[in-house]
Amino acid sequence: MALSQMPRRLNRVAVSSLSRTLRHGDIPFKGALALSSLSLFGLMIGVGLMLWLRSGLMRANAGLSFITATVWNPVDEQFGAAPFMIGTLTTSLLALIIAFPLGLFIAIFLAELCPLGLRGIIGFMVELLAAIPSVVYGAWGIFVFIPSFVTPVGNALMGALGNPQRFPYLPIFQGPFFGASKLAAGLILAVMILPTIAAISRDVLLAVPRSQREAALALGSTQWETIWQVVLPYGLSGILGAVILGLGRALGETMAVTMVIGNVAQLSTSLLRPGYTMASVIANEWGESRTPLYGSALIEMGLLLFAMSLLLNIVARLLVWSVARRTPEQRA
Amino acid sequence: MVTRKLLLISMLAVALIVTGCASATPQVIKETVVVEKQAEKVVKETVVVAGTPQVKEVVKEVIVTATPEPVDAAGSIKLNASGATFPQPLYEDWAFAFNQRDPSVVINYAGGGSGQGIKDIKAGTVDFAGSDALLKDADYQEKPDLQMIPTVAGAVVLAYNVKGVTATVTLDAAAVVNIFSGKIEKWNDPALAALNPDVKFPDLPINVVHRSDGSGTTNIFTLYLSAVSEDWKKGPGAGTAVDWPVNKLGRGQGGKGNPGVAAAIQNTNGAIGYVELAYAKSNNILYAKMVNASGKTVEASIPSTVAAIKDAKFDDKLTAVIVNSKDPEAWPIAGFTYLIVNKGYKDCKKAEKIVSFINWALSDPAAANRASKLLYAPLPKEVTPRVIEVVNKITCNGKPVVSK
Repeated sequence: MALSQMPRRLNRVAVSSLSRTLRHGDIPFKGALALSSLSLFGLMIGVGLMLWLRSGLMRANAGLSFITATVWNPVDEQFGAAPFMIGTLTTSLLALIIAFPLGLFIAIFLAELCPLGLRGIIGFMVELLAAIPSVVYGAWGIFVFIPSFVTPVGNALMGALGNPQRFPYLPIFQGPFFGASKLAAGLILAVMILPTIAAISRDVLLAVPRSQREAALALGSTQWETIWQVVLPYGLSGILGAVILGLGRALGETMAVTMVIGNVAQLSTSLLRPGYTMASVIANEWGESRTPLYGSALIEMGLLLFAMSLLLNIVARLLVWSVARRTPEQRA
Repeated sequence: MVTRKLLLISMLAVALIVTGCASATPQVIKETVVVEKQAEKVVKETVVVAGTPQVKEVVKEVIVTATPEPVDAAGSIKLNASGATFPQPLYEDWAFAFNQRDPSVVINYAGGGSGQGIKDIKAGTVDFAGSDALLKDADYQEKPDLQMIPTVAGAVVLAYNVKGVTATVTLDAAAVVNIFSGKIEKWNDPALAALNPDVKFPDLPINVVHRSDGSGTTNIFTLYLSAVSEDWKKGPGAGTAVDWPVNKLGRGQGGKGNPGVAAAIQNTNGAIGYVELAYAKSNNILYAKMVNASGKTVEASIPSTVAAIKDAKFDDKLTAVIVNSKDPEAWPIAGFTYLIVNKGYKDCKKAEKIVSFINWALSDPAAANRASKLLYAPLPKEVTPRVIEVVNKITCNGKPVVSK
């Protein structure tokens, strides 16, 4: 009721002059947009600053040796981040190695070859996969994925390639192997980042102009050559963007990983051995971190993860730029 | 053009309405009502002024509660607590039951872990905290006002999964230490065979499952290992999270929470790990019997846990380690969980209710029943008076809450 009565009560002249001063909404609109974007800087600085300040005790205590130390022993207050950093990097890279080609193939199929009716269904399923909560992936990992897939695959790999006498230079498949492992975590992560990579790559490929394909076909290319030599290079920077997003999710994933990785803070080269990741140890031990130094060490772990994601993002961004610069003639 | 104007005007209108409502919030009314006899008049006046349906509802509620009785209004005293998750189901149950007895008190126990509870009570953001871990000397130096109050004890059991072994396995202290430090590598080890002459163990490597999250359960279990083995005490030691030696051998893994450990055990042939008795029992997991300090083989249960508490020797801080009890009936791997309170409070009503809550929880048979039902061992009669004595010493602004 109030809304309909208001206009009559207010002075029309005053409103129109106010409206004019604000250039009919241009200024507030621009202001709101700018403020939203600037809040990103605020958030980044706020998070970074908090991590930096709260980790002060640990940084003062151990300095850079925190990064290289390999022992994590809360009882003696010895804190080293190396096993966790290696764990995070190994599992994320493994996930990327598996999910990138798979996601790209799904995207190519959906964008180029798929009958229209099927495209909707598969696309819907890809998006549905992205919506499953990670704790559900973790539970599925423990009860279904590890016993029915990871264990047989791991045992086969260990049997074929894990003999230290026959393959002394291939330590990544050596046992003992019990199921929960870096391999399991990498595979779960691959499943989790697959929808991100597939969905974004598909949208990128669909955005490639039809003229590009027609030109390639007119020059006598087969469909395979068109996709491989024209469509993919055209969309490459977008596809790399999809990979970066996927990698970001893999680096920060906590719940699903901690449920299948075995949570062992030990440096080991074998993918079949349990490991630990940076995000998982923070989630696992934060609640019971009794002493200031312990808490500070966990915060510094967060700081390192923050820095690592930042670094990987910058590297990936540079990669995208260099790719974009190398193929200028294709972006007419 | 017109629509934009309308938008602006409607935004203004919304802002006006919001500010208008905000000036007549329930809190303001409540405060005026507290001035006793004038309450109704004031209330009626506000009704006329504000005149919106929400405010009227609030007013009704206020009239009901603004009786001249000295009894505290329902839900008027809120006690906030946080901390250990191990006793959380019990504390929530106790809080519910206590609210039925004394509706004025609402206890909100937020979990978050022992470490969180200790941080919170030190910072003064909670009225009391729950903790499985003991306060350290540094904590007492920083806050000499803190007091630990044992509430119930829990037992930790060793669950296992060995294909082909369906019998209940018996373990002793040496076997457990050697399994968890990696010296016993396989299930058909002679030490295990000697303890279990009737069980045929397969030639299977042992996989040790421990908690990955910091946990009071880990604390109790590693306290036991430290109590029975000098090597363990000097090596990994005891704590809510430790550096497990089996991990170095590649035969260890960590599961998150009791469910995570149980799931890892059930899905790994040859696994053994420690979980809370309550969890193992309610999920039908196979767990081992133990040979206790007096050489008797016992089964984990509430009575055997209570037996472990009976001869608990409390120190001046009212804490006690009850692992490896000498009592012949005692389950050896048990530990107290504690409340952490302040020795003095500023808010007298809160102090009074905290004392009466803890008194009820520790001495009323109904509270003990609730604990046993949830598989926590309540304090035995031998111990309770000593604890209650300390609780009743809690003061409010220097004066004891409980008059003698």
